[in-house]
Amino acid sequence: MNFKTKLLSLAFAGLMSASVVSAYAAEVTLVHDKAFWAEALQKVGDAATKATGVPMKQNAYSPPEQYKAYMQSSIAANDPPDIFTWWTGGVYEELIKTGAIAELDDVWAEMIKSGEFSEGVRDFYKVGDHVYGVPLHLSRWIVLYNKADYAKAGISEPKTWAEFVSNAEKLKAAGITPFVATTQDGWRGFIWFEEIMLRTNPEAYMGLHTGKVAYDSEPVRNAFKIWADWYAKGYFSDPRSTEEVADFAKGKGSMNLIGDWAIGLVEKAGMKPGADFDAFIMPNMDAALPSSTILEGGPIMLSKKGLAKPEVVNALKYFVSIDGANVWAAASGNSLGNSKANPPNVIVKKISDDVAAMKTVAFPRWWEAVPADLQGEMVAELNRFMLTPTMETAESVMANTQKLNAAYWAEKQ
Amino acid sequence: MTDRPDRETDLQLMERIGWHQIKAVEDRAMKRNFWKAFAFMSPAIVLVCGLLLMPVVYNIYFSFTKWKKFAGLDEFAGFSNYAKLPGNPYFDTAFYNTAIWVAASVVFPLAIGFGLAVFLRGVAFGNVFKNIIFLPRILAPTAVAVIWFHVYAPHGVLNSLLALVAGQPVDIGWLYQDNTVTPAIIATFVWQSVGLVMVLVLLGLSAIPKDPLEAARVDGATNSQTFWHIVMPLLMPTLVVVTILSVLSGFTTFDLLWVMGVAYPGQRTLSLAVFMYFESFQKGSWAFGSAIAVIIGIVVFSVTWIQTVMQNRVDKMTR
Repeated sequence: MNFKTKLLSLAFAGLMSASVVSAYAAEVTLVHDKAFWAEALQKVGDAATKATGVPMKQNAYSPPEQYKAYMQSSIAANDPPDIFTWWTGGVYEELIKTGAIAELDDVWAEMIKSGEFSEGVRDFYKVGDHVYGVPLHLSRWIVLYNKADYAKAGISEPKTWAEFVSNAEKLKAAGITPFVATTQDGWRGFIWFEEIMLRTNPEAYMGLHTGKVAYDSEPVRNAFKIWADWYAKGYFSDPRSTEEVADFAKGKGSMNLIGDWAIGLVEKAGMKPGADFDAFIMPNMDAALPSSTILEGGPIMLSKKGLAKPEVVNALKYFVSIDGANVWAAASGNSLGNSKANPPNVIVKKISDDVAAMKTVAFPRWWEAVPADLQGEMVAELNRFMLTPTMETAESVMANTQKLNAAYWAEKQ
Repeated sequence: MTDRPDRETDLQLMERIGWHQIKAVEDRAMKRNFWKAFAFMSPAIVLVCGLLLMPVVYNIYFSFTKWKKFAGLDEFAGFSNYAKLPGNPYFDTAFYNTAIWVAASVVFPLAIGFGLAVFLRGVAFGNVFKNIIFLPRILAPTAVAVIWFHVYAPHGVLNSLLALVAGQPVDIGWLYQDNTVTPAIIATFVWQSVGLVMVLVLLGLSAIPKDPLEAARVDGATNSQTFWHIVMPLLMPTLVVVTILSVLSGFTTFDLLWVMGVAYPGQRTLSLAVFMYFESFQKGSWAFGSAIAVIIGIVVFSVTWIQTVMQNRVDKMTR
């Protein structure tokens, strides 16, 4: 090999390396655990690629336990991903405490200045004085109802607790099971528990998450009494079913208490939003209490390393922009709280209008609010109640959950 | 006759024939062969060290740290993770459940696999049956668990079949009730593992020499006497191997319990392996999970060591 050939080879290798390195450096990869949204996230990624000129890809880790393990080891190794999804609540605060997560105060200042996001949404992602996440989705937990069943039973959307209970009674009398129930995937046991707690005693509901209210206290017992009574009256479908959305679409239960992220799934199962099914915010038992909903808001977060890369920040900004929110809404049926973006469907639009009209306040979901160490064991207890829904089971569930709860908070003191 | 001088010692003889040179040549050859052998073995050594020994060593190290979620990997905790195990109600339950699981995973596959092997030997279309029985073994345990989760579902295949027999709807929640969840999952385990046991026993049976069997027949031994006094002792090494495999499989079974027990809210499906996964992956208590893994390793190692000693004794007896 002569000198000229050597020089040319070196130059070629250098060029190749430079192009590979520059291509790698400029690529943005959103890491997440939501394999069911992989396609939808990639659609936003493709749109972001066109808008920013920087390739944006998504990389799904599944199931969530594996994803958490990946995040824990990557942060322990001081090499967290640039941009990723996470959860709110206790796990959100745990992650922020590591010191590896970027503050997004400047990004939020722009988002609020544009008039597209409210301060209320920003505060949902605030810990202390700083904001650490932007919304991937903001889902309200609402009651989906089958319009044909409602017509058959001669009932309409309930405005009060009494009307809500009366609707269930009338549906049952018409031979229709009022509510869908499920222990699907092992985590859904808390859904009705949290909602009945919120409707009957929101203060006690919040106290559960800080150890101030015991799981065997009277407010909890009252919630279980209502829940057990509805089971005894045959208001719930078989909780052993593992097809919650399909059960609602097939008419096994007339009402389904679920996050509005499920609307797209119900549509895929064959029901048309607005025509075949609609939704309402469950009324409070005490009409004097302000209207409220459970709000679930999965965040997108940046590591400090990611914040230092302009292409990563631009990708994040695109995701929450009007264009990004529209692509995301069309692809996944989710809203991320951008008030100037198109609502993903007519039901989300209607609920958003109701929230504005009723000045509905948001409460955190039990799953995110409960200490992460207690989630699994406690939800298994709530599932146990659903499988044997008597007050006898309820008493043992309350005793067991309180034992776990008390031990956890005692250790924290 | 040799021309070895009188009174020449072995040492003198070796000196005379130049043993130093011979030894040096042999040493050089050995050294060369060693490095050749090492070069051939190195991929396997790298794999064993990198994928087997290193994780084990790291796991033992982690079990002595305070690693939980994002922190504590560099903080030494002594034996505190191990000290938390005795008296932990979940650990006690997991230990008890694992003991039941191991016993069941040894007894049932061994008894049924052995019976099938004896029964199918020499039967017409025996190979077809053997293949069908072995088929579940090639499926991934997670896939098996998902299939059987639906078989056992309240409106699943099993209840539908029982309804046909009973003539009325059957609504048993096999995987939701304390009294049925363990037998249901064990039945699935047996369904999957019995094929391998059968094949191993068949191999053991075919390796038995014909001479002692013919000698026994000539001596007038009955079938039962031949089976218990000739076949069984000669088959014992195979049975010990099968038992070791079954015990190991019983201790480490995770997939079936985790997937099939996903909606079961009680603790009957809590084995040591499930407990370890729950503490590590769900709670992020990595150090505590590592301690549980070390305990599982010690228990499995002890049990298999005892079985190996027994196997050696059996080998000596049958020789």
